[in-house]
Amino acid sequence: MTRVAYVLAAAWHGFSRNPFMSGASTLTVALMLVLLAFFVVTDRGLQSAAALLESKVELTAYLADDAKVSKILDLKARIERDPAVARVDYVSKEDALERLKKLSASRADLGPIEDIGVNPLPASLEIKLAKAQESGRLADELRAEVGNGVIAKPEDVVDNPQVVDQLLTITRVLSIGGLAVLAMMLFVTLFVIVNTIRIAVHARRDEIEIMQLVGATDRLIAAPFVLEGMLVGIGGGAIALAVFLAAAGPVTASLIKFLDILPVSLGPNFLAQLAGGVLGFALLIGAGGASISIRSHLAK
Amino acid sequence: MITLEDVSKRYPNGTYALRDIDLHIDAGEFVFLVGASGAGKSTLDRLLIREELPTTGRVVVDGEDVARLSRGKVPLLRRKVGVVFQDFKLLPTKTVYENVAFALIVTGHGGRVVREETDHALSLVGLLARRHHFPRELSGGEQQRTAIARALVMRPKVLVADEPTGNLDPVTTWEIIKLLVRVNELGTTVLVATHNAEIVNALRRRVVHLDHGRVIRDEREGLYAA
Repeated sequence: MTRVAYVLAAAWHGFSRNPFMSGASTLTVALMLVLLAFFVVTDRGLQSAAALLESKVELTAYLADDAKVSKILDLKARIERDPAVARVDYVSKEDALERLKKLSASRADLGPIEDIGVNPLPASLEIKLAKAQESGRLADELRAEVGNGVIAKPEDVVDNPQVVDQLLTITRVLSIGGLAVLAMMLFVTLFVIVNTIRIAVHARRDEIEIMQLVGATDRLIAAPFVLEGMLVGIGGGAIALAVFLAAAGPVTASLIKFLDILPVSLGPNFLAQLAGGVLGFALLIGAGGASISIRSHLAK
Repeated sequence: MITLEDVSKRYPNGTYALRDIDLHIDAGEFVFLVGASGAGKSTLDRLLIREELPTTGRVVVDGEDVARLSRGKVPLLRRKVGVVFQDFKLLPTKTVYENVAFALIVTGHGGRVVREETDHALSLVGLLARRHHFPRELSGGEQQRTAIARALVMRPKVLVADEPTGNLDPVTTWEIIKLLVRVNELGTTVLVATHNAEIVNALRRRVVHLDHGRVIRDEREGLYAA
């Protein structure tokens, strides 16, 4: 038997020596990873929904009827140069009236507006934002333009600070909450693996003592335990992925139905990324947890 | 081969296990370490394999200051200093052969070296025929011989035996002592910590007597008691 064969055999022996303990640990890790996978999917869905809503945030600046075209174009160009702005559209008085007519045709309560006479609607600049959080600043800058012949009064700049604030709060809560839940799951999974390997180390403390006495290196002593931790991790990861894939269809369908007003997309390779992420996470946490256990034993 | 210079070992509770020890053991010597329980024999053994560090003084083994060794070099020291204990410390799920070969495998040897060196060590202790037996199927003497073979298979420069006959009957005790003498004749420095006056008196080898952590007697061809 060579050193490599010893490490492999000892790792498998350690894993299979106490099937109940190894099985319970693997299943606990699997449960954590299933929760993690569903959490990642939900979080990604909500984040992408929030991002979609953020991209809908816009400002409207109603223009004075007597505003000169050159001044309007100048203002539009200046707004477009702002890095927080995604797009600026000019809506003429005629376009605005056309929109109102279309709206009234679809809404019985508005009544017909065919014989409206003089068009009372103002032209406007509709500003789509790349950074929703800049909405307030941009609105203030536009209000500062009042009196220069393009925007007549401060109320002609319409933003929606409450909606923007609420959206930003939701996005922030999702990000921080997501990180907190991830950290909690990481800790629980790590805790399970650390304890599993601690029990394995305790069961083989005589063997470890002899290895130390005959001059085995710490690295060789630790290797079977680290491998055993990785076995628990990868076993848990495989079970978690199987459960996740079996349940993903119905859950995703209901999630999309729930959010069908929003064209939420999780990305083209999301499932492959998720599978790779879960297995990689399982391996890392298995090796990390086992290292903590065996290193703390060897340091005594 | 082994030098202790002004070595003291004090535990955190204030008890001194060893005090002001000066001792030099040449390569190839056979030394008995005698004294009552608690005299410091086992502590001295543990200092040699760096299971303990001296509180003050220097412990030098084969030219290396044991306390100054980095953690990574401790295994190399332990390959030079084989140890045998009163309770054998054999792995019950491994056969005699596996227990001995284990030392070679976990120190990075493989294949033919493991087979040849294990067979050589087992033949030296006279256990080649019992190689496939488990420790529970062996007598106490055979178990101790297995432990000695495991220590010898690394071809150490020093063999430290801590009460190696403490659990054995008088006849088996003599078998083990004769084996240790033979190991010494083959060139290994042997240090035996023992309570057994009969074997010390019969062999008339160097005797280092410890009492309350101090060396009170060091004689070339000594007896158990002065």
